[in-house]
Parts: sequence; C-alpha cells; structure tokens
Amino acid sequence: MSSETTPAREPVLDITDLTVDFHTDNGVIPAVKGISLTLYPGEVLALVGESGSGKSVTSMAVLRLLPGTAKVGGTIRFAGKDLATLSEAKMNGVRGKDIAMVFQEPMTALNPTMRIGDQITEVLLNHDICPKDRAWERAVELLGRVGIPEPERRAKGYPHELSGGQRQRVVIAIALACNPRIIIADEPTTALDVTVQAEILDLIRGLAAESNTAFLLVTHNMGVVADVADRVAVMFRGNLVEEGPAERVLLAPEADYSRRLLDAVPKLPEAAWSEIAGIEEGVPGQVLQLDGALSITESAPIDGAVSVSDAEFARAHGTDSALELIDATVQYTRKGSTFTALDAVSLTIARGEIVGLVGESGSGKSTLGRAALGLAPLAGGTVNIFGQPVRDRALLNRRERQARARVGVIFQDPGSSLDPRMTIADCIAEPLVVHGWQGKRASSALRRKRVAELLDAVELPRDFADRYPHELSGGQRQRVGLARSIALEPGLIIADEPTSALDVSVQASVLAVLRELQERYGFACLFISHDLAVVHDIAHRVAVMYRGGIVEEGLSSDVLVRPQHEYSKRLLASAPSPDPVEQARRRAARAVLAESVA
Amino acid sequence: MSTLTKTKRPRGNIGTFLARRIFQSVIVILIVTLIVFSLLHLALPQGPALGVLGMQATQEQIDAFNHKNGFDLPLWQQYLNFLWQLLHGDLGASFTLNKPVSVAIGQRLPKTMALALIGMIVALIVAIPMGIYQATRRGKAGDVALTAWNFVIYSTPSFFLGLILVIVFSQWLRWFPAQAPQGSTVGEVLSNPAGLVLPVLTMALGIIATFSRYMRSATIDNLSEDYVRTARAKGTSVTVVVTRHVVRNSLTPVIAMLGYYLPVMFGGMIVVESLFNYPGMGLLFWSAAQTSDYPVLLGCVLIIAIATVVGSLLADLIQALLDPRTRGELA
Repeated sequence: MSSETTPAREPVLDITDLTVDFHTDNGVIPAVKGISLTLYPGEVLALVGESGSGKSVTSMAVLRLLPGTAKVGGTIRFAGKDLATLSEAKMNGVRGKDIAMVFQEPMTALNPTMRIGDQITEVLLNHDICPKDRAWERAVELLGRVGIPEPERRAKGYPHELSGGQRQRVVIAIALACNPRIIIADEPTTALDVTVQAEILDLIRGLAAESNTAFLLVTHNMGVVADVADRVAVMFRGNLVEEGPAERVLLAPEADYSRRLLDAVPKLPEAAWSEIAGIEEGVPGQVLQLDGALSITESAPIDGAVSVSDAEFARAHGTDSALELIDATVQYTRKGSTFTALDAVSLTIARGEIVGLVGESGSGKSTLGRAALGLAPLAGGTVNIFGQPVRDRALLNRRERQARARVGVIFQDPGSSLDPRMTIADCIAEPLVVHGWQGKRASSALRRKRVAELLDAVELPRDFADRYPHELSGGQRQRVGLARSIALEPGLIIADEPTSALDVSVQASVLAVLRELQERYGFACLFISHDLAVVHDIAHRVAVMYRGGIVEEGLSSDVLVRPQHEYSKRLLASAPSPDPVEQARRRAARAVLAESVA
Repeated sequence: MSTLTKTKRPRGNIGTFLARRIFQSVIVILIVTLIVFSLLHLALPQGPALGVLGMQATQEQIDAFNHKNGFDLPLWQQYLNFLWQLLHGDLGASFTLNKPVSVAIGQRLPKTMALALIGMIVALIVAIPMGIYQATRRGKAGDVALTAWNFVIYSTPSFFLGLILVIVFSQWLRWFPAQAPQGSTVGEVLSNPAGLVLPVLTMALGIIATFSRYMRSATIDNLSEDYVRTARAKGTSVTVVVTRHVVRNSLTPVIAMLGYYLPVMFGGMIVVESLFNYPGMGLLFWSAAQTSDYPVLLGCVLIIAIATVVGSLLADLIQALLDPRTRGELA
C-alpha cells in the first residue's frame, strides 16, 4: 500500500465541480453537489459513503451512463479531454477501451443468453483491439488471467453455469480486455462471499501494481477500503466530506461524518494471528515463520475455550433449551442426484442465549434456519423447539402449536418480506391474528394497543401504524420486521441475515434495538449472518458452518479470535477489517493459510 | 426474466417431462369433451333431431332418428359410446354434410391453418419491430401514438373491424374482393392472394395490437437489466445493444406466448371465416352450430382442445430451449 501519492504526476482522471441533478416529476433532486476528485495512474482511489450519498452516480457520470433524466454539470477530464464535449460515438470509443467498468451485481451483469466468450470478444471487436479470428483466443486468455479454471470450456458456456465470484471475474476480464487506463469498480465485491471477495481484491491490487491501471473503487465497506485503497474520498449526501490517504482517513478521520461512519462499522477484536498463522504481532504485513503456520495445536488458551463451550453446551442440553438440533439432516433431490444441504448437524441454543451462525453462501446456514422453523423437511435427526419436536404444521398438536407460536422470524430483505398492500399495523398484527393471541375474543382495539407498544419497543413513531411499507426506509422496515417477530413475545427468534441489506449506520441502530429487546424480553436467538464482526458484536456463542456441517462452535470471543478449524481461520482472515494495521495482518495470514492449503 | 410470462420451467429429463405433460393433456382433453357433451345436451334437451330433420318432422321420424343415432340412450351411455368411437379414431358422421366428421375436418383444417399461419407471420413481422420501436422510445410521441392505435384496434371486435375493412378497401377503394378465395385445397386458396388480403388483415391487426404490447413490455423489462449497462460500458452503441442483446432476450417470452395464443386465434377464425365466407374450420363450426350437427361440433371442439394443449406444451418447450439456463436440463 503506497500511502504517498505523487501529485506531480499527471492525473488520468480529473473531476471538477461535478454536479448531477435528477429531473423527476416531483421536481429536481440533486444527487451530487459539486465534488472534485483526481485519480492518478496506478492508484486505487476508494469512493465511500452510504446509500444515497451519490457515489455510484458519480462513477456512472464519468462514463456518461446515467439515464436521460440526469443533468450533469462541471467537468470530467480524461487524459486532458473533457468527456462531456465528446460525441456519443466518440464516447463509445472511450467506454470499455480507456475507461472500463465493473459492476456490483455479478449475477445479473452478464447477458444470460450469450456465450461468455462472445461477451468478451464484443468489447475487443468494438475497439478493433484484434482481428475477429484472434478475438476468441484473446477472450480465453483473459479468462485464464482472471483465474477462471478451464477457460476454453468456460468461454463456450453461459453465465448461469458460473458462481457469483466467477461471473465477477468474467466482468473483470471484460474490463481488462482493452488494457484500460482506468477501471471504475462499483461495489465489485458486495454481493460476494468474503473469501471470494478477498480473491477479487487481490486481483485488483495486483492489476493496479503491475499494469499501472488506476482504480476508482466505489464501496461502502471500510474493510475493503483498508485492504486495497491508496486514497479515500468520503461522500455524504452528494458532498465530498473528506479526502486523504487511506491509512490517515481510517485511523484518524477528520470530518465528523467519516468518524461516525467508521464508528458504526462493527469491528472484530484483533485476532491472535501469531497463533493462527504465525504472523508476528505488531509487525504488520510481514510473514514470519512459514513452517510454523500450522502449529496452532500447541497454543495454550484453546483448552479453556473448548471447556467453556462444552459447559455451555451441557447446560443447554437440559430441558431448558430453546432450540435443539440433533443430527439434523436435510437433503434436496434435483435432477436425480441428492444434495445434502445439512449434514447431521447438532446445535443447541439455551433459553436467553444468542448464537451466531456464520458461513458462506451454500454452507447450509439458511437451511439450518429453515429446518428450525420446520420449513425444510428433515431426512434424518430431530429438531426440538422448547422440547417439542418440529413437524409439519398440519400435524401439530396443541402443545406443539403453542411451542411454534413462541418462535419469531426476521428475514434478510426488509423490502420484500412485508406485504406492500398491508399497513404497518396489519403487518405487525398478523402473527397476533394467525396465532389467536389473547384468544379469539381479542378485539381490534386490543391488537392496536399491542401494535403501538411494539412500535415503541423498536423505537418507531406510533403514527407509522397507518403507513405502508414503501413509505419507510430500509432500516425502518427492518424495525417493523423486528416488531413483528416479537409480537407474540417469542422465546426464540430466528434471524436470517437481518442487517445485511442495510447501511452500516442503520445496521448499528437496528442491532442496538435487537440487543435491547433481547435484554428486555430474554428471548433466545439464532442469528444467521455472513458478517463475522456483526456476529461478534451480538452473539454469545458462534457456530461456523462449512459445506453443510458445523466445523467449529464456541464462545464468540474465542472462535472469532482464535479459530481452530482450517476453514474458520480462512474465513476470519478473509473478513476485511477497517483497521489498516489489522487488515495488513489478515492479508498476510491469508497468504500463509493459502500456502498451507496448497 | 420478465413479468410478462412466468411459465413453469420444465424440470428434469425431457422424456419424463413430456410423458407427464402428455398424460395431463389427455386428461384435459377428456374433461373438455365431457363439458361440451353435457353443455350440448343442456342447451337442446330434445336433441338435434328437429334441427337436422326440419320443423315439419313427424314424431315417428324424430323417434327413428334418435334411435338410429343412439340419442334415446341415457346420457352417460351416449358419452361412453362417443369415447369408444373416438378410441377407434371415429368421430362419427355429420348429419347434414353426408360425410364422416373426420373427412369434413380433414378438408377444412389445412385451410384454416394456412390462413392462421399467414396471419400470424404477417402480424409478427409488424408487431415485433413495433414493440422494440415503442420500447426504445418509451413515452415519446411515436410510442404514445402507436399505443393509442393499438388500444383502439384491440378494443374493436374483429367482426366490426372486418366490416370496416370491407367497406373501405372493397366497396370504396375497390382494391380487394370482399369474399375470401374459395376452393377445396390449400393450393387453390393460395392461388388467389388478393382475396386473402382482407381476411389476413382482419386477423393480423388484432394480433399486432396484442403482440406489440407483449414485445414492448418484454423489451422494456430487458432494457433495465444490468447486462444492458454492462454492454453499454463496453462501448457498444445503444442500437447495437438493442439488436444484439435485448431482442433475443425479449423474444423468448413473446414466442412462448404464441403457443398460448393458439386457442384465441381459433376463436378469431370463426368470426373471420364467417365474415369472408372462407371455407375453413371456423365456418364449418359456425354452420354446424346452426344446424345442431353434434358430431361436427364435438369433432371441432376436440381439435381445438388438442390445439390448445399442444400449443401450451410447445410454448413451454420453446421457452425452455431458447433459454440456455434451462436448455441443459432438457438435454
């Protein structure tokens, strides 16, 4: 990370007083209010901010890809040329050739009905980079360069055959195809798992260093910034509030907003990297003692950690468990082959305990949540809620139904998990109605009173009761989700990625409400998340899932500081930390761990 | 992919998929015949005798007719007899045409299919570019004007639309004849293209109004997809993005809609064929309905039912084959 930039060099991109206004039926909405930025060859400039800050709009304005309703002011100079004055045809000559772009959503960024190779040759042929008969060869080379296995075969395939991370690599291959001088990457890793994110970031770092490509990296993730950025520009409501070298901004932010933003980011404690991967503490970025990397078994505090976890486990194993899975197995049969999503998993959550469940996509963590709710058919084992077995809802007897009524659920997407045609009050009251709260006689006035109490509990104004979900922000909607989940005073809440769709500051406030409610009502909670720092923040214990099984389980403060299992170590080393010093250690640990796997 | 058609994607291997769908289709067709059979008898409790023999027929003649055709048997037995005949490929004989129903339909069906096919091709040649044009100029004058025009056409009953076309192009301008070409084979009919213009136009206008809407909304859906932005960021011009990327993806659901549209088209054919006196199945059905020619009516309904289930099966297959995401599962 070269923290010193040399402004003496000629900037490759020079943005001056950029303004973007959207002209809508409801008047003019300013999105970017006069910002100035410069980007130098070979550097990674991170543009950070929360949703609505104007960071994506800024990046799209550079390539003039904003919709017709956007009016752009100010100048954007690329290598001395004012991009705004170019004709559309000339601009098409810049797009993809001099300035390329990588987008946030790898799942949808590629044409589903066009072969991958053709999608890469398109950019080569657009700019006459090579003759038609050579283009395919180049496309295969590019796929190999971004680390796609079997590039010849993949080039003939379609996007749906690839994972999200691989698709993002294809998009990066398209961006690299013409050796552009600038790559604008708009949240390039947000939709990806952390270990995949780490690989993509390594790729970006390598490219910036070796080919002198300048990166404008738009992101909301401070860990990503700490990992790859040389400089940072912080945006807030269309304004640039701070700009400076990454290390300085992350460690000693000057602007009030930057400070608040950084404070809201949940942080993991410094992990014991010396034990995990032989990284010497206090010497960031330096890899020592490679062969000692796997000597973790000798380190002392482990036994303690395990015994605490065992004690917890034993206590939970009594009659007092809220949720208990014993060798629970879930299998899906598709196209004749059986896929085991959950492989004989045992997990117990005591009453009043929050257990975090971490893992990457496909690890089975959501399936475990569904199994706990009786939504995934068990192929083997048992799931008990408050000592009652979970079965098909139609088969439940009265006691089992009562047990079921004591389980609340919070879903990931606050936008689509609320019925758009129901008022907030109806959304919150629905479990009251379904489960016959207070008997059948419960009057609507009584229910309204309960809804008002619940709105108070999640710190939303009472008059929200008559509004509709679309009138609320994402964070407010997730609070409604919270209110709904606690409506029946549950003894257990299953929360599946409840804050991953939210901005960090909003996430912080939703987590604060959840924590406060948990203290007040004392419910148990299965908190499913891919974000280790959030889990560390909220969960007493944590279980790490990998390929359908729990590979490690223990107190959060143990597992997330001194992971024992190889996979947990890799997961922890891949989770980006906003602290540049810690992040450098993680990067080093990642390299060591990768080596030990190879 | 689009909000236009959310069809069930075939799962699993093509053999089991087809077997299951064909089994379902047979059940659907059986139910259709049962419903039509019951409705015919509800509408005319005395049976078809008076319609066929004329109002002057004596009671003896009617009894003899009913006995000969089995109409004196209980209804369930009549239905079973019908199914038994059907199982042997026998649709019975027409009361009025002096020939077996299968022969009558065999003569008429190709002509109807020819007219429908021509109408459909003409319509799609216009409707697909129209939909793309409207989608790319969404909300502008051209789009608004075409939308208005299409709604007018869409809400005009086709018999009325046909009459207007006849008045304008046949009576005032004298460009095209008001009567469709006559003839017993498809070749004879096709040898008189001028006579086909007005029937084809009557049919096509309605299809254009419907399918340009489908194409427009499918294209609009696709234009807002992320891959369009990716293609633009490669330096591909808007026109090329539409022709190279968007059209293919938008066509898939629209082509699939064709399968579902088959029965609707047949309904339209009845009107068009009667209006222009075109010797197709629509006209056959129409005259059979007027003379209570039960076997012909049942035969026609059976053909329509088969066309409907085959159409929706084709729609699912086409959609699955055009989309690489499902193509692999079918192979």
